[in-house]
Amino acid sequence: MKCSFFTLLFALCVCAFQSTVAQTHHIYVTAESDDKVYEIAFNANTQQGNISDVIPVGEYPTETEGPHGINIGLDGNYWYLSVAHGTPYGWLYKFKTGSNEFVSRTELGMFPASMEVSSVTGLLYVVNFNLHGDMEPSTVSVVDPEAMAVVADITTGIMPHGSRITTDGKFQYHVSMMTDELMEINTANMEISRRLNLNSNPSSTPDKMANGTMPAPVVKPTWADPHPSQDLVYVAGNGSDEILEIDTKAWEVSRRFKSGKAPYNLEVSNNGKWLVASYKGEGATGVWNLESGQEVAKITNSRKVTHGVTISPDSHFAFISVEGVGGEAGSVEVINLLTQKRVEVIEVGKQAGGIIYWKKTD
Amino acid sequence: MKSIKYLFCTAFCSLLLLFTVGSSCAQQADDYQIVVSPESLKLQMDETAQLSATLQGANGNVVQDSVLFYSRDRTSVSVSQTGKVKALQPGTFELQAVAMSPDSNRINKSIQVVVSYPPITAISFQDLPKQLYANSKIPVKLSATDAKNMSREDAQIQLSSSDPAVASINEFDQLYAQKPGSVTITAKTADVTAQQEIKIVENPVTDIQLQNDAQNTRSGDVVHFDAQPLDASGEVVNDLPVEYTFTAQPDDNLGEGTSGQIKDDGRFVANKPGLYTIVARAGNVSAENTIRVDARDIQKELEVVGHGLVSDVHTSDLWVWEGVDGRDYAITGTWGGNGETYFWDVTDPANMSIIDTVTVDARTVNDVKISEDGRIGVITREGASDRKNGIVILDVSDPRNVSIISEYTRGLTGGVHNSFIYQDHVFAVNNGRRYDIIDISDPENPATVSRFELDTPGHSIHDVWVENGIAYSSNWDDGIVAVDVGSTPNAQSPEQHSTGVGSLKNPVKLGSYSYPSGWNHAAFPFKSKSTDDFYVIAGDEAFPNGLFVHDKPTIPAGWIHFVKFEDGWDNPKEVARYQVPEAGTHNFWVKDDTLYIAYYNAGLRVVDISGELMGNLYDQGREIAKYVPTHHEGIIPNAAMTWGPQPYKGHIFVSDWNSGIWALKLED
Repeated sequence: MKCSFFTLLFALCVCAFQSTVAQTHHIYVTAESDDKVYEIAFNANTQQGNISDVIPVGEYPTETEGPHGINIGLDGNYWYLSVAHGTPYGWLYKFKTGSNEFVSRTELGMFPASMEVSSVTGLLYVVNFNLHGDMEPSTVSVVDPEAMAVVADITTGIMPHGSRITTDGKFQYHVSMMTDELMEINTANMEISRRLNLNSNPSSTPDKMANGTMPAPVVKPTWADPHPSQDLVYVAGNGSDEILEIDTKAWEVSRRFKSGKAPYNLEVSNNGKWLVASYKGEGATGVWNLESGQEVAKITNSRKVTHGVTISPDSHFAFISVEGVGGEAGSVEVINLLTQKRVEVIEVGKQAGGIIYWKKTD
Repeated sequence: MKSIKYLFCTAFCSLLLLFTVGSSCAQQADDYQIVVSPESLKLQMDETAQLSATLQGANGNVVQDSVLFYSRDRTSVSVSQTGKVKALQPGTFELQAVAMSPDSNRINKSIQVVVSYPPITAISFQDLPKQLYANSKIPVKLSATDAKNMSREDAQIQLSSSDPAVASINEFDQLYAQKPGSVTITAKTADVTAQQEIKIVENPVTDIQLQNDAQNTRSGDVVHFDAQPLDASGEVVNDLPVEYTFTAQPDDNLGEGTSGQIKDDGRFVANKPGLYTIVARAGNVSAENTIRVDARDIQKELEVVGHGLVSDVHTSDLWVWEGVDGRDYAITGTWGGNGETYFWDVTDPANMSIIDTVTVDARTVNDVKISEDGRIGVITREGASDRKNGIVILDVSDPRNVSIISEYTRGLTGGVHNSFIYQDHVFAVNNGRRYDIIDISDPENPATVSRFELDTPGHSIHDVWVENGIAYSSNWDDGIVAVDVGSTPNAQSPEQHSTGVGSLKNPVKLGSYSYPSGWNHAAFPFKSKSTDDFYVIAGDEAFPNGLFVHDKPTIPAGWIHFVKFEDGWDNPKEVARYQVPEAGTHNFWVKDDTLYIAYYNAGLRVVDISGELMGNLYDQGREIAKYVPTHHEGIIPNAAMTWGPQPYKGHIFVSDWNSGIWALKLED
């Protein structure tokens, strides 16, 4: 008994010690104008990061194909990448995590962008942003990530973007940028279950991009992220410079927060406390306390065109991709959410875009 | 101490409890399963079936009476969410059923669906004559169709002869007429049989009259041989196929490679100088001609006249033009950089210098074009920070003070990779998907007047060149495509082309030609001054060994294809190629009967394309000159990556991805 007691004591000490040893966070980020994906390692103790690997992607080396959206599969063994420009449709690529070995690819719609896998169906839902196409309804492609086969196309709004799924895997949320709508997909029946107009004051101004056939969007939402534990979804209002909170039970906008210029991506931390938003229009990142509804910090980024956000599962660090302009390198910028300070800038390829947290190692 | 002990005991018990609960949960998850009825399916094409499925617990109790069905190959076998299955293509496929167990674990079940190939219902002989001459040979061609009226290339068909002594069939399905008599040829699959009677008659040919048009023949010249099988009375026997072959005695016979090539229609080309004996055979009668082929002997040296080094960014395309002030200028783009375009004074090619720089919001300015009057420039944008890309229209009337007239992005936000200016209109290759035709007669207010886009699955486009009202585009897998955008009577086109069927506002497709590699990257019309033959020259781009942007030289692949449209737009024939080993083509230009090729790692190649073209011109001594431009301060040092050539006022200007702009001159 004495022996067992001390064995248990030792084990607990080891556990306690492990919590203080170096922890490394691993992130993937795309470089849209370099046709590359970067694997980044960030040491939480030294608060320094480095590039672990650079993965060239695409088929036509002298043309820019535009890797845009990126996410990790449910088991953490694969990462998935949307490549915007194909022939003419874009593609979903599948790579092994760690070795970054290419596995396979499947063709999607026009300019596929954000994606996530549902734990309910095991299927991947990727929006076909169709950024450069005509003003017409696009689709969400549903892909079996094991077989890399498209199993359904769900018709949605115009320029859909920002595909994120609830913790329970039951609902996928994305926005229809050019119709000012939040869309909800029931992942199990692969249908749009609800759509919500986000514009409190719809404009009657005709949209030039649509040749005047529809009202000009005002909110121009670009991202939706469900709260990890509450019935809330947060939306980036890229056109109205606001962040919207949607109560999914009441299916209405519950709060609107005036934000920095042109919020583009956002993410709610796992503990539900922080919302981190990229302000594309001013090269900055906003950190919001969701309880108080206050922006607690606005951190200027090292360069222009702030793009993506991913937060470590321990809610300690936010990793921000910043595109840069022209021949300038893109960057991944690390924000310590406890101090709300930028602690590291890691330069990557041009037009850093889609970014996703992979794992933490000791 | 007691309290610490209590704490650890509590922790231990908690861990034990967690472990127990975890094990219990895992066990419960394993107990659930999806039960599908039927478990697998065997269907005929177009047949439907209904699946039903439930989620059951360990004791077989149904906990959920519906699941999600989907197909992993929905174009071959479809399934609705309620389980209705339809077989669309033959083969073996997989459906999936998915459900969530009450303990929130995902349960999957695979359902195999085997769709049978429809039975073959008909076999037919293709163009097999009912009468053959003894000692002649003919390939037996067959076609098979199935119950769904689909052509079946995969059909296993056995051929046999009723009397092999009269006519035999070899393992390559060639029929040999052995001696006079009658024979039945049988084609058979497991279910279907087809037969054809053939009569073998005595071969009447007693002589072959063989003529040729050889005259001072050089390597690469096509010589036409014409064989006329004659009977005893001197009459021509038209229905006996003639086979051509040759023997060679090249001057250099020491381990020499292929010395020449002959076609079924009697056209012959020698790659090497020497004596060639061409043999024509009809049945068991033959005739032969011997000709002398001399070396083409056209090689020249290329002199480097000048070089403008660009070492901090990759250089893309170039255009050289005479400015409104009578001086000569060049424009070069940049690739993967900061959106710069350089303007050069090249009046003295030995002293080329940058005289102005325009920087736009882009990572790549891939293409640069100047209008015929030398006043308007168009540059393309990719990687703009606002993702609007499009084209930028420049006032280049004073190349030392170039100004931006307008930026045009409407409908072009996906990026413009290439462009062409024709009659105050810009053809802008839009997002690799189509080209937009944009009126720039008012350059401050450009306006899109039409678009041309293929409708093939997975179509794309890389470049476009317009001449005499026909747009020749290069389209990767879809090959070269000719489109009438207001063709003129001068259009370099087949005789059968009716001019003016399309316009800038209404582009009309005329014809196309694709080839298996899918590497088509450039297209250029060519009407031979020496023969009047019309070709579209297609160029490849391929990087099977990868593209290295910074660290080391690249070894691309690909070649030049000569495609003839002599029988009209619907009948393209690829007749010749120019292929440098271990290298890859990029852009090219034709002037008179000379082809200038930027052959990436193989540098600039100047090729004689006069006369009829056949075979691989590289092997035939048709290469006039080559120069491989490298520089030790290049962005990749000492490595050529030649991008684009342009012959201009007696010089050849070349842009190189690694080292900038070069001016060369052919030495006499």
